Amino acid sequence: MDFNYDDNQRMLFDMVDRFLTDKHDLASREKLLKDPAAEAALWSEMAELGLIGAAFTEDQGGFANSSVDAMVVMERFGRHLVTQPYLYTAIIGGRLLIEGLAGDARDEAIASVIAGESQLALAAGSQHLLHSAQDTSFTAERDGAGWTVRGRMPVVLNGDRADRFIVAARTAGSVGERDGVTLFLVETDGEGVSRRSLRTIDAFGAAELVLENVALGDDAVLGPVDGGLPLVETALDYGIVAVCNEAIGSMEYLIPATAEYTRTRVQYGAPLSKFQVLQHRMADMYIQTQTAKSMALVAAMSLDGDPIERARMASAAKVQVGRSAKFVGYQAVQLHGGMGVSEELDIGHHYIRLNVINQLFGDTGFHSRRFGALAGPTTQLVTA
Amino acid sequence: MDLVLDDKVKALREELRAFFAKNLPPEYARKTLAGDKLSKDEHIHWHSLLKEKGWHVPLWPKEYGGPGWGPMERFIWEEESGLAGAPRLNHVSQDLLGPVLIEFGTPEQKAELLPRILSSEDWWCQGFSEPQAGSDLANLQMRAVRDGDDYIVTGTKLWTSYAHVSNKIFCLVRTSTDGPKQAGISFLLVDMEQPGVTVSPIYTLGHMLSVNEVQIEDVRVPVSNLVGREGGAWDITKFLLGNERLMGAWIGVNMAFARQVRARLEENGPNGRPRSENAALAQRVAEVETDLLALRYTTYRVLADELSGKSAGSEVSVIKVRGGEIMQALTELLMEMAEAEGMVHPYHMPEGGPPVVPAELEHMAQQFFDKRKLTIYGGSSEIQRNIIARRLLNV
Repeated sequence: MDFNYDDNQRMLFDMVDRFLTDKHDLASREKLLKDPAAEAALWSEMAELGLIGAAFTEDQGGFANSSVDAMVVMERFGRHLVTQPYLYTAIIGGRLLIEGLAGDARDEAIASVIAGESQLALAAGSQHLLHSAQDTSFTAERDGAGWTVRGRMPVVLNGDRADRFIVAARTAGSVGERDGVTLFLVETDGEGVSRRSLRTIDAFGAAELVLENVALGDDAVLGPVDGGLPLVETALDYGIVAVCNEAIGSMEYLIPATAEYTRTRVQYGAPLSKFQVLQHRMADMYIQTQTAKSMALVAAMSLDGDPIERARMASAAKVQVGRSAKFVGYQAVQLHGGMGVSEELDIGHHYIRLNVINQLFGDTGFHSRRFGALAGPTTQLVTA
Repeated sequence: MDLVLDDKVKALREELRAFFAKNLPPEYARKTLAGDKLSKDEHIHWHSLLKEKGWHVPLWPKEYGGPGWGPMERFIWEEESGLAGAPRLNHVSQDLLGPVLIEFGTPEQKAELLPRILSSEDWWCQGFSEPQAGSDLANLQMRAVRDGDDYIVTGTKLWTSYAHVSNKIFCLVRTSTDGPKQAGISFLLVDMEQPGVTVSPIYTLGHMLSVNEVQIEDVRVPVSNLVGREGGAWDITKFLLGNERLMGAWIGVNMAFARQVRARLEENGPNGRPRSENAALAQRVAEVETDLLALRYTTYRVLADELSGKSAGSEVSVIKVRGGEIMQALTELLMEMAEAEGMVHPYHMPEGGPPVVPAELEHMAQQFFDKRKLTIYGGSSEIQRNIIARRLLNV
């Protein structure tokens, strides 16, 4: 049993950290958000460094030894508040390509992702932030040899930069049913495809996606017809564990930053760090972070194993991390006082991202119910 | 990075599970899991069953009759014995004093006292806390004044667990008032079966009897009963507490409670429908379960780090705080799910006739209130937060 990164993961960690320390302080982050060309250039640099390939194993065309490698990247992205769509293109999109395509089509699609040439976005439908694709509002009907797809999704994450959408559409049954959801690869420049770009509150790119009678061939189908939901759930389990590790990077930064601030900020003749009520608040931030970290690491190590265990650990981690992230982010802002709510400091930006992470892919309530269902009578809480 | 346990450790887990399944009397497990207490004779019987394997003294090295386990094996023991509902042994003697004597005792102390622990002849209790020394342990006042080859000991110990069933007590005593408070404290072994030693029970919520007040008045204790050097108790105390630092997670016992909670959730409630249909309740259960998983893996993380030579930080305090809170949450759920039947006082049930409530529910309320102590003793949650904060702030 070992909870430490191995030598290769450590090297990857150091490399990502050095790269982001150079390129991605708060000021350069602000500039990136106003300059799509610079964002695209940064993505290309990440591809050249091999970061995108770190989300794929060698037999998939990448460089990863295991799925943990991409989690190491995400942990550092959390520390440095990276808004690049690694999560959506490399991890979730990548996993859908791995699971849903085969042969040359798969190899080519993955190769262009690894090269930094292709960006992906999952449009799982509905108002949810990317979970419960069984509730999708996209529909697809058989039309001769092909399909006609239509529908709208207001917030598709990375929809602004994607050249390919992976759309979950209902092809049979009705809203809420597990069967009858099919995944389609939709090219952004196809007829009937329109999008309007936006950003979410955490500065990540997104778009409204509207599909008006988009005609697709059978070759656009990803995975089995009517059986797309398990693919989405698998991909989202990887995404869940990724944001959990991202949150750890963020929280483990916020704690010493907050401790340092309270040591230097003097009020009523004493540094804030002398007040026991604030000391205990920071101790609680630490308690929350440490327990969340254990689960994020366990979930990362469970990705390549049994699918039920992967899902169970992903949900358990999401519950822990969601609660911890909200608490730690909130207290970091609170203890920084006015500076905490200022956009000039990174503290508030971390707080925003941590809150979005709690909402992404199902919140604490959603995942505690999912964990409960998976931990039911057939599965023991206690495993060896 | 991996979640794999050594084959040796895995084999031990299997061996323990098989042993408990075969040898642990179901009545002992039932009582332990239901919060009921075993008699001293039952403890001694269980002790004798473990003896063949050396498991009655799980922390001891082989040469002294123990299994010679490393930290991971000890933790697996804690986990599996808790999960099986194995009664906790004469913990103070075997897990606290035994290792102290092995590490710090004189050859004479070891030769005389260790066999008496192994045979259950001696039951020790721990005289640490006092009326004016709780969390602030170094403030203790019990005096030991040198007089020839004896110390004359006077003072009061409070919250002394098991004093009412013990014949001996090891005390932290003040042998000097000069210098720093910690430096004037010595570790002294005192026979309780003599005039001048008075034990008074303290009943805690639910009329539980486990703690006592122990008064010692002008009792002569031979200097040969000193463990370590005079004034050297602080290091011994740190060693003693260090031996059980991961115990505060209560992982095995918490998992046993969690299993009961999950089973009751899946059962039908008073309305004839599974309790799990109560979404709010089901969510609370799932959240405690994920809390427990996170605690379990945090404990494994600390253990694995220690075994690879990384020194533990304040994660140990995290474990102490969360272990207590989680057990409180689990016992609360058990009490609540038992509804009216979970509200009874186990010591005020009608005598004779069929049981009014199932035996496993009788102690639910008592147990819940008893678990309040977990976040108070052994360094309260507030003290643990002080420790964590000191490290974060480098003060």
